[in-house]
Amino acid sequence: MFEILIKTLKTGTVTTKYPQKPDIAPLGFRGKPELLPEKCNFCGECVKACPPGVIWLDEEKGEKRFTLSCCGCIFCGMCEEVCPCGAIRLTREYELGSKTKDDLLTIIRRRV
Amino acid sequence: MSEELIETIKKEFRSNVFDETVSNNEHYLTVKKEAAVRICDYLYHTLDFPLISIFATDERAKDGCFKIHYIFSCKDDMFIIIKIKVEETSPRFATLTHKIPAANWYEREIQDMFGLVPVGHPDPRRLIHFEDWPAGFYPLRKDFDIRTKPPRVKGEYIYRRVEGEGVYEIPVGPVHAGVIEPGHFRFSVAGEPILNLEIRHFYTHKGVEKLFESLSIDKAVFLAERISGDNSVAHSAAFCQAVEKVAGVDIPPHAKYIRTILLELERIYNHFGDIAGIATDVAYPFGAAHANRLKEQVMQLNEKVTGSRLLRGMNTTGGVRRDIGDKNELISKELATLQNNFRELMELLISSPSVADRIETTGRISNEIAKGLHVVGPAGRASGIDGDTRRDHPYAAYPELEFKVPVRKAGDVNARTLVRADEVYESIMLIQQALSRLPEGDIRTDVNQIPDGYALGYTEAPRGETLYWVHISNGRIERCKVRDPSFCNWLAIEYAVLDNIVPDFPIINKSLSLSYSGNDM
Repeated sequence: MFEILIKTLKTGTVTTKYPQKPDIAPLGFRGKPELLPEKCNFCGECVKACPPGVIWLDEEKGEKRFTLSCCGCIFCGMCEEVCPCGAIRLTREYELGSKTKDDLLTIIRRRV
Repeated sequence: MSEELIETIKKEFRSNVFDETVSNNEHYLTVKKEAAVRICDYLYHTLDFPLISIFATDERAKDGCFKIHYIFSCKDDMFIIIKIKVEETSPRFATLTHKIPAANWYEREIQDMFGLVPVGHPDPRRLIHFEDWPAGFYPLRKDFDIRTKPPRVKGEYIYRRVEGEGVYEIPVGPVHAGVIEPGHFRFSVAGEPILNLEIRHFYTHKGVEKLFESLSIDKAVFLAERISGDNSVAHSAAFCQAVEKVAGVDIPPHAKYIRTILLELERIYNHFGDIAGIATDVAYPFGAAHANRLKEQVMQLNEKVTGSRLLRGMNTTGGVRRDIGDKNELISKELATLQNNFRELMELLISSPSVADRIETTGRISNEIAKGLHVVGPAGRASGIDGDTRRDHPYAAYPELEFKVPVRKAGDVNARTLVRADEVYESIMLIQQALSRLPEGDIRTDVNQIPDGYALGYTEAPRGETLYWVHISNGRIERCKVRDPSFCNWLAIEYAVLDNIVPDFPIINKSLSLSYSGNDM
């Protein structure tokens, strides 16, 4: 009993104040992929490389659309690895909870 | 040595061996279908080689036949694979289960997935398919389209019954308390003691082996990584090693060491989690809290080192995707703290009479049962089976590192807990050695233009021996057989609980650390 008490006192508090106090993921964390629209050239390399197939290209009303959905993303970072223009990268963001699937889409558009 | 062995087998069974091929450390012997049981029996009982997997392939497009492979793990880092042909017109083969109990589930799996019937099997019920799955649909046959949605039919599953005065059945699951996966446990009890347990799984079969056949190799790595969530590195490394073996690629030494470090980090956090679970189940929350705290510390270390708490996204064919060389100091420092903390915790845990009372002599698996079922990993080693893939079939950087394989004989929950604890110390030492000898150089080599061929990949996951057999044809996966350690170990629980009381079932279950997901792919 005495040893248990000592161990408890020695360990102290290990829990943190999250979410009141933000918990920042370390550098190199595999979080939400971010798109840099000005760099993207719509080459489609990331579409081919994405294992769960959550990146796609399509066209609507004379607009080219590039869509990335975090719904199904496995954060493997293959998109980042194959992108020739550095237009996509994994960030340290991990709080991705949302009420609709649409909230999980990132879309960039370009006039044809 | 290996040639002598093959000669002995050929001499013993002369006219029954049609063909022999050797690739790397794998010897394939194609034998007469009728002689397979005798030859396997000879390898298993006379030569004492464990049967580590049985699987089928559909090669009808090539020669009109299915093939069944029996894999034996031999001495001197060698595998013998006995192959038989099964004609489509006569889709039957003789069962091996009477001779080698470990063959039980494999044969039933082949029956469900390929429609090949193991004649004389002592338990010919379905294993993976449920009663509502129609007859005649065999998912791993090549002519079964992956998008097929078979109609549901009516059917019934018959459980074994134990009858007598005062005997009751307690059905548990498939939905359990807590967020775990589904499985059904049917206990027959007379009062508290358990007379019989029958487990039924495969509630969430995902068709992973079929899915492999539709994926490119680089994407398949991520599928392997997700088969058993907390054994990600072991699965992806085994898959990558199989592909690298087919490609004839030797990955850079630097990558080998990184893989080793990741594999051991995975073992440490799994073992901490298992010890925490055992402490929870014996109502020792103090120990559980500390073990979980240590597990969390390793997972945060994982995140800092690889960007993923579960060490994902690191393995790839040809090496690893990120260097961890600059994290050397961080890992060493964390490990030193962990080691001290873990030692203190184990001293308290072991010296607690309330813990000892619950785990000593509980859930015993005898050496005979463990050997018969080919129980692997810490569960096998706690029952006196001196086997560890890292030592018996070395891979990654293990041949260059020194480590001991802890083995105990008691076979109870206590032994399984202590084997894990000993393994944690060994893992820490392995990582320290690997870090101090980390070679310079590339982390990845290109794996392009993979020739047609097949090979075994294997790792010692935290749960035990993990096996992949990958066949590549025209740069695509023709067949990928995955054998998770839990596929071997689940049946052991039916024996471990006998004569124990129902309230001890959760501890026994936890001490075996069985994966639903890895078993039910």
